[in-house]
Amino acid sequence: MNEMNAVKENKIKEFPRHTRKVMKGNFAAAEAAKLAKAGFIPAYPITPQTTIVEELSDKVARGEMDAEYVNMDSEHSVFAAAMGAALAGERVFTATSGQGLFYAHEVLHAIAHFRLPMVVCNVGRPSIPWNIWSDQSDSLAQRDTGWVQFYGESSQEVLDSVIQAYIIAEELDLPVFVVLDAFYQSHTSENVWIPEQSLVDEFLPPKKMKGYEVTGDEPKAVGGLVQPENYGKFNYEYWIDINRVEKLTNEIGKKFGDHFGRYYGAVEAVNIGPHTKMVLVTISSITTTARGVIRQHPDVGLLKLRLVHPFPKQSVLEAIKDLPDDAVFVTIERNFMGDKYGALNQELRRAFYGENNFKLYDVYTGQGGKDVPPITIERIIHRIKNDPQEVVWIDIE
Amino acid sequence: MLPAMDFLIKEEKVYSGGLSCRGCGWALLVRHLASILGENTIYVVPASCFSIIAGPYPLNEIKGSIVHTVFAAAPATATGIRHALDRQGKHDTNVVILAGDGGTFDIGFQALSGAASRNENLFYIANNNGAYMNTGIQTSTATPYGAVTTTNPQANYKKTFPKDLMGIVGAHNIPYAATASLAFIEDYRRKIKKAKDIKGFRLIMIDGPCPPGHKVDPAQSISVSRLAVETKLYPLFEIEHQKYTINYFPEKEMPVEVCLKPQGRFRHLFKEGNKEAIREIQRYADKNWERLVALEKLTHELEE
Repeated sequence: MNEMNAVKENKIKEFPRHTRKVMKGNFAAAEAAKLAKAGFIPAYPITPQTTIVEELSDKVARGEMDAEYVNMDSEHSVFAAAMGAALAGERVFTATSGQGLFYAHEVLHAIAHFRLPMVVCNVGRPSIPWNIWSDQSDSLAQRDTGWVQFYGESSQEVLDSVIQAYIIAEELDLPVFVVLDAFYQSHTSENVWIPEQSLVDEFLPPKKMKGYEVTGDEPKAVGGLVQPENYGKFNYEYWIDINRVEKLTNEIGKKFGDHFGRYYGAVEAVNIGPHTKMVLVTISSITTTARGVIRQHPDVGLLKLRLVHPFPKQSVLEAIKDLPDDAVFVTIERNFMGDKYGALNQELRRAFYGENNFKLYDVYTGQGGKDVPPITIERIIHRIKNDPQEVVWIDIE
Repeated sequence: MLPAMDFLIKEEKVYSGGLSCRGCGWALLVRHLASILGENTIYVVPASCFSIIAGPYPLNEIKGSIVHTVFAAAPATATGIRHALDRQGKHDTNVVILAGDGGTFDIGFQALSGAASRNENLFYIANNNGAYMNTGIQTSTATPYGAVTTTNPQANYKKTFPKDLMGIVGAHNIPYAATASLAFIEDYRRKIKKAKDIKGFRLIMIDGPCPPGHKVDPAQSISVSRLAVETKLYPLFEIEHQKYTINYFPEKEMPVEVCLKPQGRFRHLFKEGNKEAIREIQRYADKNWERLVALEKLTHELEE
């Protein structure tokens, strides 16, 4: 949402065939599911996601949305039901958070590797110690389940990403998470431009049946035991398609921009060029805070990751190609993976290996929803400039 | 009970070459089920012996569709399929869960309760063979008192009774729940036909013979199943909206040991010093039967 922020100081940019509403992030997510015409919504409450499914149940009850809404008995069952409906060819949406996502972990693998398209919003919160506030440890811990993961910086981006995610999911037969920040997004109201239904319909056609669906029309066998001689073929096919996600994300983001007026990519670079000495790497709403702070630091740039899994290596390398060799990277981690480095740092190291020799620093901050105000970003910049350590915990000092 | 009039499979809907053990209950129960339900049926299978019997990728033993799903959530997967089909106007397509006792009594219990509570339009078949047979005979909460399994071996044989699954399922006030036995095929077939035409959540629990697990000669599968009914260890009854109806009253009193004796899993009970366990099982069977008779009387009176 670089564009919107950039014009904020003058006047709000108008988007034709949209209505501007003040809306909480969770309501934007629910609105997106409605605009995408999701037909099946299995649901189970969990803070801070709950108002997404509540709002969806309201939309169905009010007759605004033509969908089957089912109150399930757990997140494990939510995802199992989502799997069943997707297998039978429906466009599926649901939402979850933290423990719910962890509980569904087994089914996440099944959905991804049965190659079932769907879009799910996760409102990020950590696990134990018990906490309901903003943290990306839950979704980042699902990295290896095979789900595509987008992180939304704003409620607008969440809404827009859900619509784009359905195209990617249905093109590649892969499930997609669109992740929101707990409370900073889920329960915070901001301006959201809601596209007209017809505008969305022109961009996102109804779900097409591809022939693999189990609908009773002809006999199908799905999910049987795969023996060693065939197993690798399934993973190979998966590998082919997961490798297409990054390019497709950039293509769909551009098409979305042409159609709706808001452009997206797998990553976004701000103030990254030959003059840049430090690049902050962020996801989600911390990005917005960092945008404001780096205006006071002409030599600090920002690399926002919108697509986090599969890691958009080529887009990242493209975004930083003009950096001087002595520039440093600082990954800002609102997650803890039980390891020395946070998830973003791990991913960046993997992407950079053999490609460049940039120095990478890792900063843990904002854990369990601790606020990351501009002063914290200032402190991070100051610390890395003056007293750099490979890994820094900024909150607990 | 009337003499068997309807026990022949008129149109076979199961291919030959199924991968069950000899004398397995799955093989027979699925043949009757599939022949009555027809090909416009989607079977949802959690981890169970039937996961294997149905055939590995890309095979399917049954004429119809089969969806193998995660162990704990077959009723939830079936819920998704059911709602999707309903949206597509395919109300006539049967969605049927084929689960074992592990997937029903234990790991899938919550999802079963959820689907029953929602009165989903699903047909649940529980093949209760009294242990985790697919993984090699480990104790489930359906394992009978007195049985040995690989996780209740020798003197550490199971010393608790199985949970009253039928009572619990019936308490969900679903339109139809019934027990069935493969020794009473006409009763089983009648129940499938009845359940097929009911809308809402239906469950039939079958006393599943398992020669390797029960340590029974495969040729004795059906006769041992018959003895379970005759000794009142496995009564045949239906529960319709909590109304109990007993379907078969054994004509003569037969002690439980008649049924236990041919099963190697109970062999140790016949050693000196373990006879009290047999008496305990007899008391359980008697009390359970009396309770059933009382429930039938009570719930029928309430109906009037």
